[in-house]
Amino acid sequence: MAEFEQEDGMTRDDLVQRVALMEAMIAEGRRYTGRNSWLFVLWGLVDLTAWAWQNYSPHFGGRWAWPICLPAGAVLTLAGKMLQKSETGYSSNDLCSRVMSVWGMMGLAMGIYVASAILTHFTWQYSYVAGLLMMLGMAHAISAMFLRWRMQGLVAAVYWAGGVAIFACNSWKATNAIMLFEMGVVMMLFGLYAMGREPRRSGVKGERA
Amino acid sequence: MTNMEREDGTTRDELVQRVALMEAMIAEGRRSTARYGWIFVMWGLIYFVAMAWVVYLPLKDWAWPVCICVGVLVSIAKGRRKRASGGSETLRSRSIEAVWQIFSVGITLYVIGAIASGHGGQPSYYAAILFFIGVAHGISARILRWGAQGLAAAIWWACGIAMFFFTTRNEVLAIFLIATFFGMIVFGLYAMMLERRRAAGMVQAHA
Repeated sequence: MAEFEQEDGMTRDDLVQRVALMEAMIAEGRRYTGRNSWLFVLWGLVDLTAWAWQNYSPHFGGRWAWPICLPAGAVLTLAGKMLQKSETGYSSNDLCSRVMSVWGMMGLAMGIYVASAILTHFTWQYSYVAGLLMMLGMAHAISAMFLRWRMQGLVAAVYWAGGVAIFACNSWKATNAIMLFEMGVVMMLFGLYAMGREPRRSGVKGERA
Repeated sequence: MTNMEREDGTTRDELVQRVALMEAMIAEGRRSTARYGWIFVMWGLIYFVAMAWVVYLPLKDWAWPVCICVGVLVSIAKGRRKRASGGSETLRSRSIEAVWQIFSVGITLYVIGAIASGHGGQPSYYAAILFFIGVAHGISARILRWGAQGLAAAIWWACGIAMFFFTTRNEVLAIFLIATFFGMIVFGLYAMMLERRRAAGMVQAHA
């Protein structure tokens, strides 16, 4: 193919290089998510533990289940991240830092939201639980758009559907079941899926799902 | 300083170039947000009009749906016109656009779900909405490394916390007005002022 020059002086080679760079960044961004997908598994386990404690051992400090499990999850997250960063070969690019911004801000907002609701005893409201799922769905959807990752987009849709279903079902039994499914099954499955893809993906550039 | 080579083969000049490119992308991202500063002001005013309608006018149930629809239509029309008139786009400015698009979809689903099921008056419903807006501002602020937008996010979150503690109708209204005024209108005006100053600077430079 002949080398053409556009009005802005950009040659075909320049364009090809740019596309290659963007694809490499997207691939690195997905690898970054894969490397950090243990966090999804961890938080799935934290949620399941708190849920099981609250429902199956309500007389054994059941009302402290969430206030204890959530800070414990935060401490484990920080410890794991510090350990991960100290390892050699830990790399990240601009897209990774954008994905990190999304999850960092979502985590911060969710922490404040949950703490405020627990303090003021509003965790029983359906809109509180639906709000959590919608917020998680937003973070997954933004991350999926950055990384052009359909699987993560699907996860976002499942979270949003769960949020809407909580309103539609209007019962605590259904809300519990939806939360269990979203926090336990969806979060952990996506985490395990991303973890499973991570080793295979190493060294593969520009791969699309 | 010598042009040293790192372990991964990247030279100092390449690193300097990369930093310069990132800084240019951040600056362009901020300019892009500033160009869209009018959207924040417009939505702030729409919230004010909707709240005034709810308090003072009849057909209160229609206040939010009508105002939101008008806002969405105006945003789409003006956004298209701005895009058609040209303007550079970077990966970062497109990321910011993606953040606000996803936020719009999420908040619309949440509001429709809550209102249709009759849960639209709960304190955690109002708090969640303020937290969502705060998250969108917070992510944009982190990506653009922009303190002013970070402050806007903090205002929305602080007002979201307040929603859990002050739950009467008047208190909710007052908190929402404060958040809208400082987190939306004032921030939008600030962004517009930055854009105007930049445009004036460019005219002077060309003169």
